[in-house]
Amino acid sequence: MAREKNYGNPSLEGKLKDRYYYSDDTNRDFTQEVEKIGRTIAHMCYQCGTCTGSCPSAPRSSYRIRLFMRRAVLGLEEEALTDPDLWLCTTCYSCTDRCPRDIAPTDVIMAMRNLAARRDIVPRNFLKTVQAIYKTGHGVPNNDVNRAARVKLGMDAEPPTTCGFPEYIEGIKAIIDHYGLKDRADRILSEGE
Amino acid sequence: MHEYAFFLGCIAPNRYPGCEASAIKTSEKVGIKLLPLCGASCCPAPGAFGSIDLNIWYAMAARNVVLAEQMGRDIALICNGCYKSIYEVNHILKHNDELRDGVNEVLKEIDMEYKGSIDVWHLAELYYDPKICGVDKLRESVTRPLTGTKIAVHYGCHLMKPRKERHFGDTDHPMWIEELVEALGAESVQYRNKMQCCGAGGGVRGFDLEHSLDITNEKMINLQEVGADALTEVCPFCQLQYDRGQVEIQEKFGITYGLPVLHFNELLGLAQGMSPDELALDLHAVDVSPFLEKIL
Repeated sequence: MAREKNYGNPSLEGKLKDRYYYSDDTNRDFTQEVEKIGRTIAHMCYQCGTCTGSCPSAPRSSYRIRLFMRRAVLGLEEEALTDPDLWLCTTCYSCTDRCPRDIAPTDVIMAMRNLAARRDIVPRNFLKTVQAIYKTGHGVPNNDVNRAARVKLGMDAEPPTTCGFPEYIEGIKAIIDHYGLKDRADRILSEGE
Repeated sequence: MHEYAFFLGCIAPNRYPGCEASAIKTSEKVGIKLLPLCGASCCPAPGAFGSIDLNIWYAMAARNVVLAEQMGRDIALICNGCYKSIYEVNHILKHNDELRDGVNEVLKEIDMEYKGSIDVWHLAELYYDPKICGVDKLRESVTRPLTGTKIAVHYGCHLMKPRKERHFGDTDHPMWIEELVEALGAESVQYRNKMQCCGAGGGVRGFDLEHSLDITNEKMINLQEVGADALTEVCPFCQLQYDRGQVEIQEKFGITYGLPVLHFNELLGLAQGMSPDELALDLHAVDVSPFLEKIL
């Protein structure tokens, strides 16, 4: 069956009849959810492209922040969340500082990543960071070379963080477990092996 | 003495302990006392953790803030990534009742409560602030001026951006860290696209190393053009990306730069007479000695 294009507006239908926009691809709630999580007014985007022009990732990949902004506005949830380019944003906030509509495209990306993660779409390195923090309190844990260097500097081998006070790790585990994130990270990582 | 709870983060204490040692020693000479923030954790990493679930990021960062609230001290820190997590979450929770209530519900499970009673500062902004230290006082603390060296500054992203959630003003051509560098007797040099990202953030370094290094490489080309003797930054993660990144760029792209990369605290330590051994500069992947030869 041929799919219906639909803008819900007869005069727009006429003007845009050669564009591809299918109503069954879109999810209105997606726009609202992105705006709520990202705490930004994504629907104000008028596609000027200042964001892509400011983006350090754009010149070296197919990642286009402007495209993700359009997906946010049109509610193209599937397209946005399953595109691996979503994970190429370095969150430098250059686009956010330059956006003439006062939107934070970076936070739109963060919101989309959160929504992708709810569907278990997360790169492995992100989940490994979660595992490391759950175990040691640190995303980059201490090691022996560093311990020796610290002692040579006249400092304790373990810094006064969760390294030196491991009793605090329980609190960190409790927070992560509150959201069930450790179990989810373990499961997703083991499924990928 | 101005006293602060010193939030360490991960990379400074666990990869570049010289950043931590120099922060403690250099700040004391200008009237800032950094007290250990016992039991602090990863900030947690805004890219890796925030991308998965911002709510957990809020709660985890709030736990670190609460530790300082319990000490009754503002937080001082030395990493832009930590600044993003700790400063921004503190700022958001102070002004957003809904999010604060959500965070406190989780923190209740570990007998903690976020009150919003402290502020968060980057040590570099404290050095620049005339009410705390100021450029003049910093200059007076120098015993071994870095005369004759050309130093480029990398500001990093998360200290000053997004501008409207910070208080630094101009993020296109800021010059305040250059003022700090020149207070040490060095000449600061400008280079093309100074405010561009180092390439490491947002989890990209772990997700696609070559992509991230390609961004770093662009910065390195621009830095090489102006003949800087060293690059300084205020973020150990940027430092890791430039320092170890140069070795990785050599392996993957076959280009050698050999540009020494020093945290501003390490630079200040050298200018205040600390020896390279006291700064563990041997842990740097790129040999720092060409720079040291110019000043020692």
